[in-house]
Amino acid sequence: MDSALEKQIATAAHAVEDARRRAHYDPASIGELIEQMSVLADLRQKEGDFRKAESLYREALFRVQETRKPDQALIAGIWSLIAHLNDRWGRMDEAAKAYEKALEIGEKHGLHDSDAIATIKNNLAVIFKTLRDNAKAERYYNEALDSFRRLHGENCAQVASIYNNLGVLHYSGLDVERAQEMHEKALAIRQRLGEDQLDPNDLSQTYINLGAVYKATGDFQKAEECLERAKSLRAANGSYRPRPRRAASLLIDSAAAWR
Amino acid sequence: MREILSIHVGQCGNQIADRFWRLVLREHGLNEAGVPKDGGHASAANSNMEVFFHKVREGKYVPRAVLVDLEPGVIARIEGGDMSQLFDEGSIVRKIPGAANNWARGYNIEGERVIDQVMNVVDSAVEKTKALQGFLVTHSIGGGSGSGLGSLILEKLRSAYPKKKIFTFSVVPSPLISDSAVEPYNAVLTLHRMLNNADAAVVLDNEALFRIAKAKLRRSPNYMDLNHIIALIMSSVTASLRFPGKLNTDLGEFVTNLVPFPGNHFLTASFAPMRATGQEQGRIEFADLAKETFAQENFTAAIDWTGVYLAACALFRGDVRAKEVDENMAAIRKTLNYASYLPAQGGLKLGVAETAPEGFASSGLALVNHTGIAAVFERLVSQFDIMFDNHAYTHWYEGAGVSRDAMSAARNAIASLAKSYRDAS
Repeated sequence: MDSALEKQIATAAHAVEDARRRAHYDPASIGELIEQMSVLADLRQKEGDFRKAESLYREALFRVQETRKPDQALIAGIWSLIAHLNDRWGRMDEAAKAYEKALEIGEKHGLHDSDAIATIKNNLAVIFKTLRDNAKAERYYNEALDSFRRLHGENCAQVASIYNNLGVLHYSGLDVERAQEMHEKALAIRQRLGEDQLDPNDLSQTYINLGAVYKATGDFQKAEECLERAKSLRAANGSYRPRPRRAASLLIDSAAAWR
Repeated sequence: MREILSIHVGQCGNQIADRFWRLVLREHGLNEAGVPKDGGHASAANSNMEVFFHKVREGKYVPRAVLVDLEPGVIARIEGGDMSQLFDEGSIVRKIPGAANNWARGYNIEGERVIDQVMNVVDSAVEKTKALQGFLVTHSIGGGSGSGLGSLILEKLRSAYPKKKIFTFSVVPSPLISDSAVEPYNAVLTLHRMLNNADAAVVLDNEALFRIAKAKLRRSPNYMDLNHIIALIMSSVTASLRFPGKLNTDLGEFVTNLVPFPGNHFLTASFAPMRATGQEQGRIEFADLAKETFAQENFTAAIDWTGVYLAACALFRGDVRAKEVDENMAAIRKTLNYASYLPAQGGLKLGVAETAPEGFASSGLALVNHTGIAAVFERLVSQFDIMFDNHAYTHWYEGAGVSRDAMSAARNAIASLAKSYRDAS
């Protein structure tokens, strides 16, 4: 294992132990314990130890449920983290079940129009796409798209991500025209986004996906241009800084790779 | 380092923990806070403290132990007593409202709520070891927490640490004394998990312990006396790892020597010389010690001695000479009725550790794999059948997610286990 990650894990594990001791005497400090567990679980996934990561999330889940007034948004968020973990672990059925559980809790507690629920719908769509259930995937993408539009309007990073994901879905279903339409919409939004909202990797991915679509339509010159733009945007990632997370992040589908 | 992590589950498991850790502390010269009594390193120099303790700083040792219960009473007493500074509070998992004597609640409903916390605490304790040897699990198999949650913990341990040895010290329901009507169900369901997930299980029954304690202590014993006997056995099983000696044995060697067939890993044990806490022990002749160690009335489970020995281990501690051990044990070996297919001169694994338990000049431990253990399983299966055939109490189990089919499967596995022991005669 890389030694920097090893150090981060040791520090995070120590923080969990300390928080666990405090929580043993003071139930009010459960929140801190949960945050520390989410940091450690994130690192465990990075290490490839999914069993330990899942165990941490599940403990967090039951700890929250034991509090006097369980935070339902947090519970839905932890389910989505468990789903995300199972997705990375390759356990797609488990991932789908956990996302559906998160969705059920969220909708039961009036969180219909929230980033968290829209994100879960997007992620669930990604899982169904992987399970080759494209109809269900498209339905969930469209529901997520509607939610994000209502919440933030058309020009936001989340809407662009859903267009991107829909583009990838259509491309995998050999519907190149609709794929092109979606990727062009994603590109248009991402080009307009301010620096605070734009992840250069996302923009670069859009160029790669669009390049693949142009190539499929026979427009090799446009495809080449897209690839060049993507290359120039591919800057090195910054160093990894795990933070406590309350829910899984938006899954960006990058399956339409350049060949 | 060859560390061992002890996991104490349920009321009985934690009562054993109370006696066991007091004994181990004394053996290593530590006080109830885990601080060397002499203020220095003399005790540590003669023993491998790291097996059972994690040194958190100079002069402070914390047991490698996880305490788990679904009702807080026993653990709260440990935490509030003179060992309040000993255990790491982060390694204590206590919940409410208990498993209501129902294996299915301990395994499914309450177990599901708590198992991840237990495993996270176990993972954290394992990460503090350099070369973990295995786990010691103490529990009773007749109640709800030690049996149901204990079973779940065994399954998870086996899955998470497949190469580590799992040794259980399991208190089984007594033939005559019963704590609850559903003990046979709980016991059979737990034995099924122990069969599949433990490497060795030392079977202890309170009635046998009571009989031993009463005969040796010459007074009416209490649960602390019974748990003290269990603590002496647990301590002796690991003595060779913790103290220098001429013949060392570890958990792996015990398992290799004591388990001749897969699944036949249920053992009974004896400790000699038996004495009350605080009662002085004079020097005992080795021949007498060896004889007492293998005396049938000293074994901790009501087994059927008409069967045969499949394997046996003996570990002597303290003031014993290797020559005496060899001579006497060769004679004792001849008196033990071994299965006909086992070598005439072998089959008795020996260990010698220099340091005796505190207050003893010397002591002996026998761990025996005997076909007569089948009697314990047959008795439990028979009690199980009477209730099960009449559908008595099964609704509690079905209501907590354990179907009659699952119960029946466990029953059949244990009946087969009993038969496999009988067939091995």
